[in-house]
Order: sequence, then C-alpha cells, then structure tokens
Amino acid sequence: MVFEPPPTEPPAPWEPVEQPPDPNRHPIRVVVTDDLHRWRLTVGFRLLLSIPLWIWLFIWSIGVFFAAIVNWFLTLIKGRSPLSLHDFFASYIRFTTHLHAYFFFAADPYPSFTGKPGYPVDVEIDPPERQNRWKTLFRIFLVIPAALIAGTLVGAPGGGGNNSSYDDQSSSSWQYGATFASGFFLISVLAWFACLARGRAPHGMRDLFAYGLRYSAQTWGYFFLLTDRYPNSDPAEPAADMPEEPRPVRLEVDDDLRRSRLTVFFRGLLYLPQLVWLILWGIAAAVALIVSWFATLAMGRTPSALHRFLAAYVQYIVHVTAYVTNVANPFPGFVGTPGTYPVEVEIDGPERQHRLKTLFRLFLAFPAFVIEATLTGVLFFVAIFGWFVGLFLGRMPLGLRNLGAYAIRYAAETNAYLFLLTDVYPYSGPWDFAPPRPALPPHELEPEPETAFT
Amino acid sequence: MAGWLVAAYFLWQSVIPDGLKLPDVKETSLFPTSTLSDAESYDRFVRSDFVLAQVVVIAVVAVYARIGPKFVRESAAGPIGTGMLLAMLGLGLVWLLQLPFGLAELWWQRRHDVTLASYQEWIVSGWFGLGAEFLFTSLAILIVVGLAQIIGDWWWLPGGAVFVALAALFAFLLPYLIPGQQPLRQPALQASANSYERQLGLDDIPIKVQDVGGETTAPNAEAVGVGPTRRVILWSTVLRPPFTLDEKEVVVAHELGHHARKHIFKGVAWYALFAIPGAFLISRITRRRGGMRNPEAVPLGLLALVVLSTVALPLQNVITRHMEAEADWVALTLTQDPQDAEGLFKRFTYAAHADPSPPTWSYILLETHPTGLQRIEMARAWRAREQSTP
Repeated sequence: MVFEPPPTEPPAPWEPVEQPPDPNRHPIRVVVTDDLHRWRLTVGFRLLLSIPLWIWLFIWSIGVFFAAIVNWFLTLIKGRSPLSLHDFFASYIRFTTHLHAYFFFAADPYPSFTGKPGYPVDVEIDPPERQNRWKTLFRIFLVIPAALIAGTLVGAPGGGGNNSSYDDQSSSSWQYGATFASGFFLISVLAWFACLARGRAPHGMRDLFAYGLRYSAQTWGYFFLLTDRYPNSDPAEPAADMPEEPRPVRLEVDDDLRRSRLTVFFRGLLYLPQLVWLILWGIAAAVALIVSWFATLAMGRTPSALHRFLAAYVQYIVHVTAYVTNVANPFPGFVGTPGTYPVEVEIDGPERQHRLKTLFRLFLAFPAFVIEATLTGVLFFVAIFGWFVGLFLGRMPLGLRNLGAYAIRYAAETNAYLFLLTDVYPYSGPWDFAPPRPALPPHELEPEPETAFT
Repeated sequence: MAGWLVAAYFLWQSVIPDGLKLPDVKETSLFPTSTLSDAESYDRFVRSDFVLAQVVVIAVVAVYARIGPKFVRESAAGPIGTGMLLAMLGLGLVWLLQLPFGLAELWWQRRHDVTLASYQEWIVSGWFGLGAEFLFTSLAILIVVGLAQIIGDWWWLPGGAVFVALAALFAFLLPYLIPGQQPLRQPALQASANSYERQLGLDDIPIKVQDVGGETTAPNAEAVGVGPTRRVILWSTVLRPPFTLDEKEVVVAHELGHHARKHIFKGVAWYALFAIPGAFLISRITRRRGGMRNPEAVPLGLLALVVLSTVALPLQNVITRHMEAEADWVALTLTQDPQDAEGLFKRFTYAAHADPSPPTWSYILLETHPTGLQRIEMARAWRAREQSTP
C-alpha cells in the first residue's frame, strides 16, 4: 500500500528527530527535489519524447472517467472514498503531475508510467478520510472556481490529465488541447529555450510551474474525492525559495482582509475614474519612457526625476490593480504616493544599467509579458471570485488575496523592467510572502536542491 | 437677483403672441372614453412610481448624508479622491434602491407595448449608465473639492462657471454621442426640411434618423447640437406608418423651430441661472461639515443637490414647456397645417398612452412638454388667429 507507514526504528543519536506533520497541512502536497539541471538532448526532443506518456494518459483517463462515477456514488454512500479507488486516483494524479512537470521542464527525468513516487516534482497524498456528504454531492459545482484558476495556469486537470465531467467522456480531446492552450504551455516554450541554452531551468519559472502543478493536483484531488479540503491557492503556503539575487522591486502587503461590501459591489464602476486617470497618466509615462530610454542609453543610468515619475506610475498601477481585483480594500489615491496603500511596491533608486540591455529592453521584456499575461488571467479569476466572497462574507480569503498579490508583484516587476527602473529581470517564482531565510552556518550554504514546496 | 431676473426675462421672450388665449377643448370630444380611461390608468401607475421613487431617493440621500462620512475609512486617497468615492457610493446607493421602481416601470411599459427592451438589457444599460454618471460625478467632485482646497467656500463662483462651460461643451458634443444615426432617406421630407430651413434663415441643418426599432415603439424626435454641430434626429418610429408625410413635416418643423429659436443655447443659459445660485447654496449648506474642501461634506452636498433639484423641478418644467410650445407655434407657422398638427398630437397621445389632461400636481412636477390637449388647443388657436387675420 502506498500509504502504509514505514516500519519505525529508533533514530540514531546523530540523526535529527523528525517533527510531527502540521495538522493543518493540505492532504495533497507537492514535493520538489529538482536540482534545476536539464539535459539538453532530452530538452530538445521533449515534445516528441512525451508522446507515449500522453497516449498512456489518454488511455488511463478513460478508466478514470468510469472509476470517478463509481467513486462518487460510493463516497456519497459511505462518507469515505474506498482505499483502492483512492490509491488509483492518487497514482493517476501523481502521473499527470510528473508528466506535466516533465513536459513543462519543471523536472528532468523521464517519468514512470505508473505514477511511482519519488519524481523530482512529486505529489504526496494523505490516506482517505471521512468527507462531508453535502460537499461530495455538489462536488462537481464546488470545484468550478478552482478548476478555472487551475485551467488558466496548467490548462487541464491533475496537471493536465482529465477534467471530464461525469457525463461527457468526449471532452477528453478538448482537455488535452487545453493543455497546449494554457499559460504554462506558452511559458514552457520560453523554458525550452532557456533550458536548451543554459542547461538549467530558470529557478523562478520552475517554482511557478511547481506552484501551478500543486494547485492543479489539489484541484483534481478535490474533484476525484481524494479529500474534501478545498485547494489552497496561496502561493506562499508553503513558502517557496527566495530568489538568489536581491530584488530591486519588492511587494509589501499590509492588508487585513476585511472588505466593505458596498465598495466591493460597485468596485468595477468605482474603478472607472481611476482607469481614465491611468490612461491619461499612461500617455505622459509613454513620453517619459522614450526620453528615459535615450537618457539611460546615453548615461547608463536613468535620470532621477524620470525614475521618480515612472516609479510613481508603476506604484499607481499596483494600487489601482489591487483595488479593482479586490486584493486591497481602500479606494486608492491618484498619485501613487508610497506608504499610502496596503498593497504597494518598494522600488530601489536609480542604479547603473547595462546599455545593451537598455537598447533591446522591449524585446528582452517579451518573455516577461508572456508570463505576465498568464498571471493576469489568474488575476481576473481572483477578482471575480474575490468579488463574490467579499460581497457575501465581507472579507477576502487569504489564499486568493496572496495569489492576486503574487500576480500584481510580477506585473510590477515587469513594468519596472520595461520602464527602465531596473535592469534586473522579473522573477517569476512565488516568493512574495516567504519568511526570511534562516541564517545558516557557512558549510550549509552549498547548493541545496530540495526544500522548495516541501 | 436683479441680474438674474433681467436674464430670465430675456430668455423667456417667445414668438408666441402675447395674450394668446387657448380655446377650451374637451378631451372627450377628441378621444374615445376607452382611450382616455386607458391613458389615465397608464399614467396613474407611472406617476405613482415616479413619486415613490423620488421619495426613496430623498430618503436614501438623507440617510446617506448622515452615515456617508463613515465611508471615509474605505479610502486611502486624499480629499479629492475620497470625495469622489463618497459621491459615487451615494449615487450607487440611489441607483440600487431605485432599481425596483425602474423595473416596475419597465414592466408596466412592456405590458402596454411602449418599450421593447428586455429586463436584462435594461439592467445592463442602467449599469453602464451608472458608470457614466460615476465618471461625470468624479469630474464634478474634482472641480468642486479641488477648487475648495484652493479658495475655500468661494469655490461656487468659478465652479459654477466651469459647470456651465461643461454643459455648453456637452450640448456641443451631444450629437456625436448619440448612436445609430443614419441620413434621412425620404426625399419628400428632406425637401420640406430644406424649405423650412430657408424660411427660418437657418444654415443647412442635417436631418438624421436614429434606429430605435429594437428598443421602443414610442415616436420621438429631438433637436441637438449648437452652432456647427446642430442637427435634427428623428427616431425611426416616427418615419413608419401610421405617420403621414404631413405629420412628419410637422415633427421636422417643430425640431427646426427649436434650432431657429436657439433653444439649446437658451437651455444652457437657463442652466447657468440655476447652477450658479445652486452651487452657492450648496457651499453654504455644507459649511456645517467644514465646507466642500472636506470630503466628509460630500454626502451632505449630495443631499442638498437632490433637494434643490427637486424644488427646482417645477420651474424647470415651466421653462421646457414654454420652449416646446414656442417650437409648436413655429411648426404651425411653417407648415400652415393645423389639421395635421392636431392629428400628430393625437397619435402621440395614443402611442405613448399619455393622459391628455393629467392632474395639476402631475402637470407641475412631471410634464416637460405641454399636454396633448394643450398642443391641440394651440393648433386650433393658431387656425382661429389665421382665420381672423385679413
């Protein structure tokens, strides 16, 4: 059995004592032990190499479809998913996660066809527990919000396997098509170039994939009744690795999650004057950007006045976006003053910039735009679901708020890069709310492949 | 005050002969009893709905004037942004609480085939309309609170002037904001329009047709624009049967009469006569909350605006009725056809289920045009006057 506990032996005196698991942890977790190294040969042919895996996934999905119907009835009757079916779906979700991790370059080894644990981007799934029958009865509807977010990121269930409803098997072909139309597929094209050129996967991109695969696995674990715990959209739970280099653009969130129902109801319309001002300011910012581009190219550094002006505009975009997407509550001011809003960016002052990077900035920013577009798609759903929840509960769920903040942070980094406020490339990993790294003794500062998303 | 009266006197001047006495016509001699009964029943519902909605608006805004300042905590903006938020929330609340009354009126209109709009269309267009109101309100607050930050309680003087300028700009641009305009494709009617323009000494004013076929069955037309943007817009419902060419000519002549008598310009001037004193009163009323420089005064300012607008409504209706009557007189003079004018006014009454002689209170509060009966009486008065003139 997959979930049989290993035989316990007393730990050796030099081994650290294993801590008991956090009772609040999600029953479906992704464990990343990937070292970022990629073999160029398999990267080059990754699409072709994955074809047998996709075919196997398709065949397996047919079985999953019928098993899901049986499992739904049994869980409804017994209040708990049978262990055999639970293990069957767990293997399936692990396999789809492995396949997608491989396909998106989040991991390097060729995955097994059985969903065997131990893959560098793996899924841990707790044994079956009692489930609320009402939640089981309406599971197909309850899963919709999570499925929309997961679909925007990964495109298809279980990291891409099967999101078929109980009554429509023919949707399978659409599901596989959805994988190739997802945000992650576009990002994986960028990852393909990066891995091929450097022999390493970009750290932030790998963490972004890992986050999406974790959320997707939780979503389809929820759908297949492996748990009745709702998927956790919080990118900071558990905390991802911090980026290696210091970030010149950082997000600060000081929001208490409370939402005013009246302003939430009219949020879209209250945004209109801000939108008009955003466009007007944007025209001035575009002119300033052109001037700044020439100046930065000539001087190797953005003039302070232009830096301040454009930084204020980036700040204002953050305020307004946070407001309209319900990531923050108060109506923002119109000048992007730092220190006035619960969600804002801290942008370092002007520093020397590489002239070549300045010259080709627009082209260099293109990959960041692709990632930003994916995260903006997610932010759209954050705004929609945040609107409903805010209206009924008067508060914003923490996970949804943090996911929105992550998307806003990445957009701010992209804007800052485009507006020549920094030449440090945007970091796509979800590090926003990670606690500070503990100070480690020097001998432990060696490269450590694991710990992300454990 | 004297200046106001002098300006009002000149704006009131009209081509309707002084001392024109309208003949006393009995509505029962014009319309079947069933039609009158239907119109009375239809209008009674509309009037009740309007009065209830108006009472709710005032009540909501009064409550909001008290509780609105609490919403300051929902803003991280400065005084202008916070003022915008409070004003928009006030309008949003009004819209929300008026929704049932609007839906009731729509239900009533659909039941009488006056409108073809669905409930969804109505709500969606209302939502977008509210968005436009929010934008305009934000601009108004930017002007008022912005000026109040600089010159304190004297904001009303330049503020009033800016609002009048904006009203003039809006009047100028309105023709470009009306969707679905097409050229008039009825040569006979166009020829008549050209002839009337020559008689009135007007430059070539375009006659446009707005397709409203999917929205309403009610006939209507309007004169819009100032100077080079002037035009006449006929709803497509006017151009269809049962309206005859002669009746359509009366419609076109009436709208050209508005342009000939510079009613759009006069409308802006009348607006100035109300807006500037209104702004002054609002500045005085809001002083108890620290004046308009303080965003917490915005809900009170909104209440003052609603109450003043309601109080001014009868006076504004007097002015618009006066202008409409003058346009009717010009149309009669141009077409020399009181019989078809009378037929047109009768058709309007049938199509809109309008009560030809509503109760006095309703006439004072709601009627922006002369009643159907008054318009028919004017047509007869014109004919009598023509017949008596050698």
